Amino acid sequence: MDILIYGIINSIALALMALGFALVYGISRVPNFAHGALYVITGFITWSLLRTLGLNYLISIVLALIIIGVVSALIYQFALIRVRGMAISEIIASYAIGLAILEGLRWGGFKGTTYTLPVFIEGTINIGDVPVDLHRLLVVAIGGAVVILLWLFTHYTRIGLALRGMAQDERAVLMLGIDSDIMALVAMAAGGMLAGLAGIVLLPLGNIVVEKGYDVLIQAIAVCIVGGLGSWMGAVLAAFLIGFAQILTTVYLGSHFQMVVALLAIILTLILRPSGLFGKQKELEERV
Amino acid sequence: MNIEQRRKERLDRGIKVRTDGLYALMSWRELSYLTLPRLVLIVGMLTLPFIMPSMYWQRVISIVCIYALLAMSFDFLAHFVGLVSLGGALFIGVGGYLAAIMNTYFGMPPLLTIPIATVVGAGICTLFLLPCLPLRGVYFAIVSLMYPLALARVIEALDILGGTDGIMGIESFGNRWVEQYFVILMVLLFLFGARRLVNLDIGLVFRAVKDNDQAVRASGMSITFYKAVAVFIASAMGCMGGASLVHIYMWSGISLLALDFSILPIAATVIGGAGTLVGPVLGCLILVPISELLRAFGTLRIVFYSLILVAFIVFRSEGIMVYGQRKYHQFERWVKI
Amino acid sequence: MKTKFFATIVILLAILFALPTYSALAAKPIVLGCPLSTAFLYGWDAERGIKLAVEEINAKGGVTLGGEKRPFKVEVIDTRDLEPGVPVSEALLAVEKLILDKKSDFILGGPVRSEAALAAMPLLSKYKKVSILSTGVLTPKYHALVAKQYDKYKYCFRIHGEAKQLVGEMFANFTALKEKYGFNNLFIIAQDVAHARGAAKVMNKVALKKGWNVTGLEIYPTGASDFSMGLLKAKKTKSEIINIWMDMPESAILLKQWYDMKLPALPFGSTLAAAEQPGFWKATEGKGEYTLCNVVNAGNAPSNATPWTMKFYNAYAKRWNVEPEGLGSSSSYMAVYVLRDAIERANTLNSDKVVSELEKTDVMGVYGRLRFNPKSHQVIPSLDPEEGAVGTILQWQAGKRIVVFPKSIATGTIKLPPWMMK
Repeated sequence: MDILIYGIINSIALALMALGFALVYGISRVPNFAHGALYVITGFITWSLLRTLGLNYLISIVLALIIIGVVSALIYQFALIRVRGMAISEIIASYAIGLAILEGLRWGGFKGTTYTLPVFIEGTINIGDVPVDLHRLLVVAIGGAVVILLWLFTHYTRIGLALRGMAQDERAVLMLGIDSDIMALVAMAAGGMLAGLAGIVLLPLGNIVVEKGYDVLIQAIAVCIVGGLGSWMGAVLAAFLIGFAQILTTVYLGSHFQMVVALLAIILTLILRPSGLFGKQKELEERV
Repeated sequence: MNIEQRRKERLDRGIKVRTDGLYALMSWRELSYLTLPRLVLIVGMLTLPFIMPSMYWQRVISIVCIYALLAMSFDFLAHFVGLVSLGGALFIGVGGYLAAIMNTYFGMPPLLTIPIATVVGAGICTLFLLPCLPLRGVYFAIVSLMYPLALARVIEALDILGGTDGIMGIESFGNRWVEQYFVILMVLLFLFGARRLVNLDIGLVFRAVKDNDQAVRASGMSITFYKAVAVFIASAMGCMGGASLVHIYMWSGISLLALDFSILPIAATVIGGAGTLVGPVLGCLILVPISELLRAFGTLRIVFYSLILVAFIVFRSEGIMVYGQRKYHQFERWVKI
Repeated sequence: MKTKFFATIVILLAILFALPTYSALAAKPIVLGCPLSTAFLYGWDAERGIKLAVEEINAKGGVTLGGEKRPFKVEVIDTRDLEPGVPVSEALLAVEKLILDKKSDFILGGPVRSEAALAAMPLLSKYKKVSILSTGVLTPKYHALVAKQYDKYKYCFRIHGEAKQLVGEMFANFTALKEKYGFNNLFIIAQDVAHARGAAKVMNKVALKKGWNVTGLEIYPTGASDFSMGLLKAKKTKSEIINIWMDMPESAILLKQWYDMKLPALPFGSTLAAAEQPGFWKATEGKGEYTLCNVVNAGNAPSNATPWTMKFYNAYAKRWNVEPEGLGSSSSYMAVYVLRDAIERANTLNSDKVVSELEKTDVMGVYGRLRFNPKSHQVIPSLDPEEGAVGTILQWQAGKRIVVFPKSIATGTIKLPPWMMK
């Protein structure tokens, strides 16, 4: 019972971390290695709005999300757009941007363990004999809502359909009169906001620290690779797979194997089936 | 519409054309045109330890050389074989651990452990990467990035090879001039060796693998075999660096597998000029000392450093060396069209 | 053209190298090199402690050496050794920079991470530089190595308590709790780094020997962010004390979840970085109440161990606008004073002579009587400030850090959370 409950919570948390990355890669084929940095900086922006400007919690969250959307759009417009299509340059450039953000935050005094966001709802309930705090339940709810909304958005709105079209075939989309650069910009902004949302939802569980950025990035990559790069639903399923695998190793193998799981999952998936468990096989693009 | 009605034309210098052929041997001018840049590099590298003001800066030169080995291995794999490896730390880690084990458990002297670590380590790295060799582009990049991270976590979790404490009490080179010149000579050796290699027949095959692997396969050659050979050569450079590093610091541990070893060489390659093999060395010569000088600024230096990297990769992706070579070999003029 | 590039680079480098040379002052200062991970609690606590002591000493004229007064000069360098993904060689290069480039006469403070400190030992003996560790490094391996290879590593001192001492202090408390409340089930959670893992294992062994029922020993890798399973296990096994050995920031997740679950077990931390800072209470919105943690030495939390303790505490609070936080504050402060005394007694900067004078150190400091073990160069611990360096265990009670151990300096007693009262 406890494995089930906390397995689900852990999985949804992973899915939240990974969705932004999956979205950006799926649409614009840009592996956004600044993902972790966006996750962390949103936490700090919200903190600043909440604590130094004294705004309402909800308003700070919305403002922080808007800011992070704009920031990611700017990152795309001024840096990443110039290296689009060159996979390695994209990785290096976005990683370096992420590094600059994270270390810049550290330099700016955002260090130590005293930066925290309040939880949304206080309190704990018992499911069976397992105590769960309400915030963790809320994480599950928000995660589920995001997944569903994303699905609705990409299936029933014009922009969403355009994005999905771009994910499938960029040239065909260009012929239909859709500006792929603007779409990629939108995708990047949305990806940044998703990363930020994950940060806002998950950070109240602990505290906001710079190091989290590197971890989140690795977790997100693990989930996306296992699920298949570019496949959103694959990412969600993979999040459950890795989430439960982590919980199970903690229980049966010992907690110090927890971090190995994600990394081994990446390596094994790439060796055995590079397009992931649920990705579309594009044999020639991936391997010789 | 006022479009610039002219364009820049680039022409090879006469002297470059002449030195391509036998004429090169016929006059001092041509001869020096060919050899001068190389001599400057060799003599420069060899005198570096003397012009350094303090022992600390000499140590920085050793670190520069180790990063230079890694950067060359990255450049060789990425721009001559088409395998973008973000796993420089894997090479350093394997080479370093091997040298440490041989030295502390079997008591071999550094001058024996380094060559063995280089060859055996390269073999091990090749075996590790063998299953991933068919992967392309971003997939290979990510898997190679994850290898060192995973290996570090495995050592941590299983508590083998000294666990998180690392292995201590490793012998140093003994003589600091030996220590200094060993790495410098190795950099020069591997640099000119690699430059020679890419122009040999096998080098041609490597480049063909990069440009069009299906054509190579159609010619009845095994792509995986050639990729494995290339990985062996590249990881030999990295392992050599790792083994030297371990002996310089008399210490080995999981931080040999740290991300910095994967990232900094790439930055150096981007700044120095990709696909030239000299560029990465130059990049390290610039980046590492700058990063040392900026140390006083704390974490701000990482910010500077990443911003420089972004600027270079986004706006000046050719790098210093390619630019320099162009200016050396060609002249430019505006022509009306 | 190629030549031109090289020329520019060489000139550039030459200019840059020339920059750090500073002009000699009238009285040449004694340079204290501090390799610290300045972006982390265990780095900046030491930096502040050392700077405070140096400012105080310099205000009084400095160190008397060969008949003249010479000031101390602090050179802090960022080692980044607490950051993930940074090789230890980076920290070692920092130490070398301090020794060779900044011409440090002594090394104080770090490196902070145990791994880096161990790796720096051969370097210190190579350059014969006296070093006094005063923050972060808790591994017993450090002074064991000094004792084992005295001639090689005699330049290394450590002025704060180490893991074994912490274990002893914890057990004194556990025994008291056992007598008072009948506790018998102990759950241990540790971070996967050398000192914490080692201490947790020792803890486990000692607990079994002393008749405790160890209900679990969980080791979490650095950066783990989900502790639910461990906590649930602690709950299921009816653990009454959770012993936490963790200095990573994620420990806050653990403590918050502990409070939310209303887990009937006392969170008893040692080196729990998150809970050492005065800002902990606000950061957790009071969820940190009842958390205990060991700040290693007195003076890092308000108490009256010696007359000097509160003097230091207030001076620190005044200078840095924050109360002493982190385990390295008072020890780093004292390291400077101890070193000054040793230099003045030796009347030279010669490393070997200063080492033998440091071994004779016997001074009443911020956290009790300070003496080094002449064989292992570890500060001698005690439960009585009159006898040796005393530790401090504090508990968060109603927003304040209350010292509950040792008895001789305690300002309160351990309180149990209401949901643990039967």
